Amino acid sequence: MVETDKNTVLEALKVVQDPDLGRDIVSLGFVKEVKLCGGVVAVTVELTTPACPVKDQLREQVKQVLLELPGINEANVEMTAQVRSAMPDNQSLLPGVKNIVPVGSGKGGVGKSTVSVNLALSLAQSGARVGLMDADIYGPSIPTLLGISTKPGMGSHNQIIPVSQYDLKVISMGFFLSEEKAAIWRGPMLDKMMSQFLGGVEWGELDYLVIDLPPGTGDIQLSLCQKVPLTGAVVVSTPQDVALNVAKKAILMFNQLNTPILGIVENMSHHECPHCGERDDIFGTGGGSRVSREMDIPFLGEIPLAKNIREYSDQGKPVVLADADSEQSKAFIQVAESLASQISIRAMSGAFEQDIKVSF
Amino acid sequence: MKDNRPIPKEIGRANIHDLSILWQDGHQSVYSARYLRMRCPCAGCVDEWTGRRVLKSADVSEDISPSSLEVVGRYALRVHWSDGHSHGIYTFESLRNLCLCDACKSSLQEFEHST
Repeated sequence: MVETDKNTVLEALKVVQDPDLGRDIVSLGFVKEVKLCGGVVAVTVELTTPACPVKDQLREQVKQVLLELPGINEANVEMTAQVRSAMPDNQSLLPGVKNIVPVGSGKGGVGKSTVSVNLALSLAQSGARVGLMDADIYGPSIPTLLGISTKPGMGSHNQIIPVSQYDLKVISMGFFLSEEKAAIWRGPMLDKMMSQFLGGVEWGELDYLVIDLPPGTGDIQLSLCQKVPLTGAVVVSTPQDVALNVAKKAILMFNQLNTPILGIVENMSHHECPHCGERDDIFGTGGGSRVSREMDIPFLGEIPLAKNIREYSDQGKPVVLADADSEQSKAFIQVAESLASQISIRAMSGAFEQDIKVSF
Repeated sequence: MKDNRPIPKEIGRANIHDLSILWQDGHQSVYSARYLRMRCPCAGCVDEWTGRRVLKSADVSEDISPSSLEVVGRYALRVHWSDGHSHGIYTFESLRNLCLCDACKSSLQEFEHST
């Protein structure tokens, strides 16, 4: 009888493929530990993100493969994660941050801040370390959406300490602007704010830093793309043509700045009647996936309209926390997992450009 | 997204005055300091609206040289010049188009002949 040892385990596990990366988990280096004792085998599989959409599937598959091995009657599979950075190594402004993801839109009113908040929370809930920067100085709504009433403190070396809320580290212009004063900002001040929020905050070690940008294509977006090489942008739109045409402008802007686009999210996609379940495409349908095909960018998913979204916003508890079983929450989680996959694919395939070596 | 945009692999000096770029696709470019400085794209050197060069040849010293430079985001280079000027952000695309090597010059000529 063939005795099962570490090598036979690894050979057997080569049939398990990561569907996003197109290779088996052994050659990808995901199988970290194999322990054999009597008829029991314990394996640790390290994925590239805790928000992996096929985590449970992979665990089941690995377990099945192990149980079929000779002499094995019990298999324990532990799934861990080490988020990979999809940014050039010479990014020195935020050394502890592995991925920086701005969320933009062509125009206002598409629900970009709500999407940013719920995406960040979904990623945090999966176990990732997440920061959220509210760079929307014209309408900094994130403190309200998250029910934050405290202000950030100051740390050593004059660094700002972000506010912790629901396992997120949060910084917002809303913390520094009094409600009465309208924010009239001109170019150089915006640039300075961006520098401050990036380099002057103690973000610590983060897997993902989500940045809620102001709508449109202007100084803040440009400033961000100049200061630090980004992992990639997410663009939010509603299904209406008007919103999509303008979203294309945002996509073109990121293209011009060599910032990869991780995908487009279609928000307020449709309404589902809570009584009879009938689907009503209030703003039209299919637009987001159409733009994704036209511009060759991934489609991350649709988020349906919810009647109670306003209530949750006013209460300061985003829907993924307030109503985790709702259609909206499930949609946010699915979009967050798609986003995490896109980042992993970029990180693992080296699709982004290599480091630029400057010797001067 | 199809990506054949020019990206540098290594950026360094060719000699005291010149800038050398080895591109990811293997192409090699060398730019003389004066050539690059005269083509500074900042709003002070080029008229924003007409695109006409405002910077005059007499404004740039003969021994102009790059003191240091930094990569801007993922798409451009900022050069800090010996005359203190540093506003110009040269996109990788524009730098590649400015390449004066024989291969680039001849393909430019081909284009001009065919049109």
